[in-house]
Amino acid sequence: MDLDLGLAAQLAVNGLIAGSLYALLGVSWGLVFATTRIFHFAHALTLTVAAYVAVLTAAAGLGLGLGFAAAALAGSLCGLAIELGVYRPLRRVQATQLNIFLASLGLLIAGESVLLILFGPEASTLPGFPLEGIVLGPVAFTTIEALWMGTAWALVGGLVLWLRLTRWGRAIRAVASNPELAQCVGVDRARVFLLVFAVGSGLVGIGGALLALRDTASPFMGVTPILAAFIAVFLGGIGSIPGAVVGGVVLGLAENMGGLVLPGHWQGVIAFVVLFAVLVVRPAGLLGIAPR
Amino acid sequence: MEFWLHVLNWILLLATLGVSLNLLLGYAGLVSMAHGALFGVGAYAAALVARDLGVPFPLTVLVAVAVTTTAAALVTFPALRVHGEYLILLTLAFQMVIYGLMLSWTDLTAGRTGISGIPRPRVLGAALTTPAQFLPLIALAAAVAFAIGWRIGESPFGRVLKALRDDERATLAIGKSVLRYKVAVFAISGGLAGIASALFAHYQAFINPFSFTLDRSIFLVALVVLGGTANLLGTLVGAVLFVGLPEVLRFLEARQDIVDAVRNLIFGGLLVLFMRFRPEGLLPEHSRLGRRRVVVPAEPAGAAVVARAGSRGDGTPALVAQGLGKHFGGIRAAQDLSLALPRGRITALVGPNGAGKTTVFNLLTGFLPPESGRVSLAGRDITRLAPWRAVRAGLARSFQDVRLFERMTVLDNVMVAIPDQPGERLAALFFAPRRVARAERANRDKALRYLAFVGLAHRAGEVAGALSFGEQKLVALARLLATEAEVLLLDEPASGVDAHWVRRMLELIRQCAEAGRTVCLVEHNLEAVTAVADHAYFMEAGRIVAEGTPAALMADPRLAEIYFGKWRP
Repeated sequence: MDLDLGLAAQLAVNGLIAGSLYALLGVSWGLVFATTRIFHFAHALTLTVAAYVAVLTAAAGLGLGLGFAAAALAGSLCGLAIELGVYRPLRRVQATQLNIFLASLGLLIAGESVLLILFGPEASTLPGFPLEGIVLGPVAFTTIEALWMGTAWALVGGLVLWLRLTRWGRAIRAVASNPELAQCVGVDRARVFLLVFAVGSGLVGIGGALLALRDTASPFMGVTPILAAFIAVFLGGIGSIPGAVVGGVVLGLAENMGGLVLPGHWQGVIAFVVLFAVLVVRPAGLLGIAPR
Repeated sequence: MEFWLHVLNWILLLATLGVSLNLLLGYAGLVSMAHGALFGVGAYAAALVARDLGVPFPLTVLVAVAVTTTAAALVTFPALRVHGEYLILLTLAFQMVIYGLMLSWTDLTAGRTGISGIPRPRVLGAALTTPAQFLPLIALAAAVAFAIGWRIGESPFGRVLKALRDDERATLAIGKSVLRYKVAVFAISGGLAGIASALFAHYQAFINPFSFTLDRSIFLVALVVLGGTANLLGTLVGAVLFVGLPEVLRFLEARQDIVDAVRNLIFGGLLVLFMRFRPEGLLPEHSRLGRRRVVVPAEPAGAAVVARAGSRGDGTPALVAQGLGKHFGGIRAAQDLSLALPRGRITALVGPNGAGKTTVFNLLTGFLPPESGRVSLAGRDITRLAPWRAVRAGLARSFQDVRLFERMTVLDNVMVAIPDQPGERLAALFFAPRRVARAERANRDKALRYLAFVGLAHRAGEVAGALSFGEQKLVALARLLATEAEVLLLDEPASGVDAHWVRRMLELIRQCAEAGRTVCLVEHNLEAVTAVADHAYFMEAGRIVAEGTPAALMADPRLAEIYFGKWRP
């Protein structure tokens, strides 16, 4: 029994670690989705590009700190480029939501291929962070995982405060809840879109660097974490930033705590079973109001 | 040679899957990111029953079809409530769960190892092994799938699917059960995928999960979209392109992963460019290939088509509502509303913005279930009927924002609304084709007469979205009339257009009433109301506060104050 409790505690910690990153990714995607209503699949490309930028910066001997900053900047620029180069022209020709989604999908496929041609299929590592184990009673984790949690929660907390307290944050929330009305009271929708792409993509860029730090960077690294972000957002309820945070943590816990009853290789299935169940039973999400 | 025959077989298999997906995505506008998984489910089912249970070849196809139809229906169950981005996510989840099961449920699927030794089909005692021997079989299966897909897509059934794609609410409002069509199209799509998947399993004699990934699903979507949505020939072209291009790229003699990357770069890039510059795909839905032009009959426009057999404009109440109530949170949208619509008369609902006029239409037609009260149509209680059933019972409504099926032709917009078409039933489509064709000719003439009535028969062949707003409103009226409902609720028929169109619309409404139809209209244009309405109800804040002739209501200074605000000099 002791052993099981210890295992449960360890799995819970693993769940929190994964959940922290899911929360960050979920918030970064949810911000874009709630505001622009674009099913931005190419967010996965932004994550991958930023991870590579972090790897290249660190490999050039500029240090890990600069690597993270470069990842955030590269993420923002990548997101802005996608909005300006693809989504905005599509909106101008009144493309349907479905067509914008398909373009996003095409962009992801094409972008991953470019990365593969440039860097090859091999995984690249992001070195430079002292990797040590931390043992707290029955649970153990690494310094990198501690950094994950610290960074993720700091960024998520910062975003929530920024959205609540600043003028631009309020403008974003206004556009997310009622685009027409927001425009009527003088909120420039196009600029708000640019802003959420810059902020959301910068956040996912840091997420990409964190992933590269613990695991590796590779051309197809982006899709799986972004699927987790989708799940976090829909679990929590669209348009709700706290919802995405809760969704991310719930997802991380469910995936890892599932290990108590299922063999490890089932982990990948759990997330989607949870999503399927929530979409069927409670399409508005755990914290959400009815979908529009 | 052998190699190119293999390529051809692959093209036909992918085209079959493409047809299956195009019915969903192109015709019904329902995205599926799970077609790769569906393909896998069928392939595993066929492989396992063939290898482990010794089920012989043609039966394995039936097993695969049964399994994929069931799996698709499993997606349907939650998908009925969700659409748009929820459907993307739901099918994505389905794809990932199935793929995960293929990898993880090792007792059944052997995980990554996959299933080998799938028996080759035996035809006339000989086992088929080479691509050349398989070709006739695969070609036959593809031909069957195309025939089924074409028959369904280009029929009255397919017309309803397109309506569903263009506007789900409006599809309910012309009396079609959206639910039934969604379940049916998912099931058919699943079944067609099953045909391809069983043949694939036998053809390869070996399957593993890596043929059924999310990438496969994405590529099927890209194939259908680039080829042309709602155009099956486009899907064939897409399959040729998607299978052929990588084979051509092979001659680059580069590393395999680089060749794959170049291929993906091209397809991904094309997808982005097509969405921007040619969203309809290579072969668009309304291509001239194989489509007849609309021949407009020379017969004059008359109001005769509007009259319903047996309806008399005798002024007895056709529709009666008593004590309707509804609130949203703290807002009372409707309170104790009672009204009666006399047969063959025009009744108006007037009042300031936000008084709840459109809400009344929603409550009457079942789009919003009332919390209290009762609606009866010719003595029959219709309070709890779903919107599409209310239309079939004889009560239809139009929308303030018109809501035409914008990507369909004007003629199809009207034809789709005609009730009880034999071609909407799948059994009749395949087993009574003559009856379907006869009904189709008759309905075509009928729809053209409705269009002639509103004066737009000459635009019948055009895409509805290309019409001016005024013309769209007239097409919406023709579509409403085509439902053959006796009671017509018109939401702001004269708003947003200039005086010429207002006069034309009012004249048509008057003719409808003279022909025995019962009309109720919500309208802000008080001049228009006075010109056509026999009786008017005045609403304020969810209540009916007065009724009488329009002229009498207009003359009441108290109501004028509510309507226009207090005059403060």
